[in-house]
Amino acid sequence: MQCERARNLLSAYIDGELEGDERRAVAAHIETCRSCAALVNDYRSIGAMVAGAGREPAPHGLALRVRENLARANRDELRKPEPKPIGWFDRWPSFRRSVLSHAGPALAASLVSVMATWWVLTAGTTSAELQREVLSAHVRALLQDNAVQVATSDQHTVKPWFAGRVDFSPDVKDLAGEGFPLVGGRLDYIGGRRVGALVYKRRLHTIDVFIWPEKGSSEAPPQLITLNGYNVLTWHQKDLAYWAISDINAGELRELQSLL
Amino acid sequence: MSSASRFERLALPHLEAAFNLAFWLARSKPDAEDIVQEAYVRALRGFDGFRGEDIKPWLLAIVRNVAYRWLSNRKRAHNIISLDESLAGSTASESLADHIASDEPSVEQLLVGAVERDYVLRGLAELPPAFREVIVLREIEGLAYREIADVTGTPIGTVMSRLARGRSELRTVLKKLIEKDEPNAV
Repeated sequence: MQCERARNLLSAYIDGELEGDERRAVAAHIETCRSCAALVNDYRSIGAMVAGAGREPAPHGLALRVRENLARANRDELRKPEPKPIGWFDRWPSFRRSVLSHAGPALAASLVSVMATWWVLTAGTTSAELQREVLSAHVRALLQDNAVQVATSDQHTVKPWFAGRVDFSPDVKDLAGEGFPLVGGRLDYIGGRRVGALVYKRRLHTIDVFIWPEKGSSEAPPQLITLNGYNVLTWHQKDLAYWAISDINAGELRELQSLL
Repeated sequence: MSSASRFERLALPHLEAAFNLAFWLARSKPDAEDIVQEAYVRALRGFDGFRGEDIKPWLLAIVRNVAYRWLSNRKRAHNIISLDESLAGSTASESLADHIASDEPSVEQLLVGAVERDYVLRGLAELPPAFREVIVLREIEGLAYREIADVTGTPIGTVMSRLARGRSELRTVLKKLIEKDEPNAV
């Protein structure tokens, strides 16, 4: 066997991944070739060193945190609404037998339509709708890579930028020292009005903090919601509503809230 | 037993392997933890589709995919060199035979007295991710080529050639590191 051919096979030879003939040919070559034999030696000792260095130890408590996270993910799965809008009828089996056997599909359809109309009429003001809008605004910004319109870590640039664009003046703080560097700000449209968004980073995660004027108690504790795997924290401060959303964990989101 | 608890029973024992692979791809412990968290949730959601006998390669493949997505996001954020670019520019594109002369001192000789673990970590860190991952999977996790191929989603032949080039490059990098730090050892 030629040296060059053998060199490419030494690694697989060491790993015992060569078949009969090839393995024998490489073994025979090593017997006669000093430099290939030296290479096999080196690869073996480097392999032993790497194996000896071992795994990077996992941080303390990782298994516990993974289990918590899995449990949360599992609950979110289970909480998804069942696609069964006529479940209400199940409670009247005799009614269902007598009427639905003939008129079932039509009745069910009209009930769905009534429910849908009621939902459309009332949902515009519900917080569920607002939550969905906040989530969409956040995800859209992530998808389009346009998280910021004014990109700066300087709070004195972001605050004046909002002036004239929205009819309120949010406090802007750069929290780089606390691990939440300010990336910038942008405008968004939520709940039928223009809102301000402050964009922070936590490691590689983006956090949007949406802000708009809304009366509410600053004393009330922040509310935490989980939407499609994103954590959302809402609170009031100086007649402004704050909605912070990100895929960082809830504890970190609360930390940001306490700093703002 | 519910599917979720069956998943935990099978997947949690591989948490350290998952973290190690994530760490070696992202080279940051906080990032590796986030990658592992995301990968486990994804794996749980995809668990119904898992039909194999051994969950480890399947799980590590998910960890790897999440890690590469993180790397490309990080690259977008910080202009870090991508896998393809780093492969193209790697010193392993030279022939394997270029660095070898039989009267050179062996790596083993050079390493006498050196702090092995420190060199291994620094040496591995200098390899492109495509080489780093096969070496980690082979030498630390002890996976067979077939299993590594399952994790990386590449043919066995590619695993074989990446390991050959990766080992050759790691040897070169280690020699350089050691000779730089301990010129007297040569």
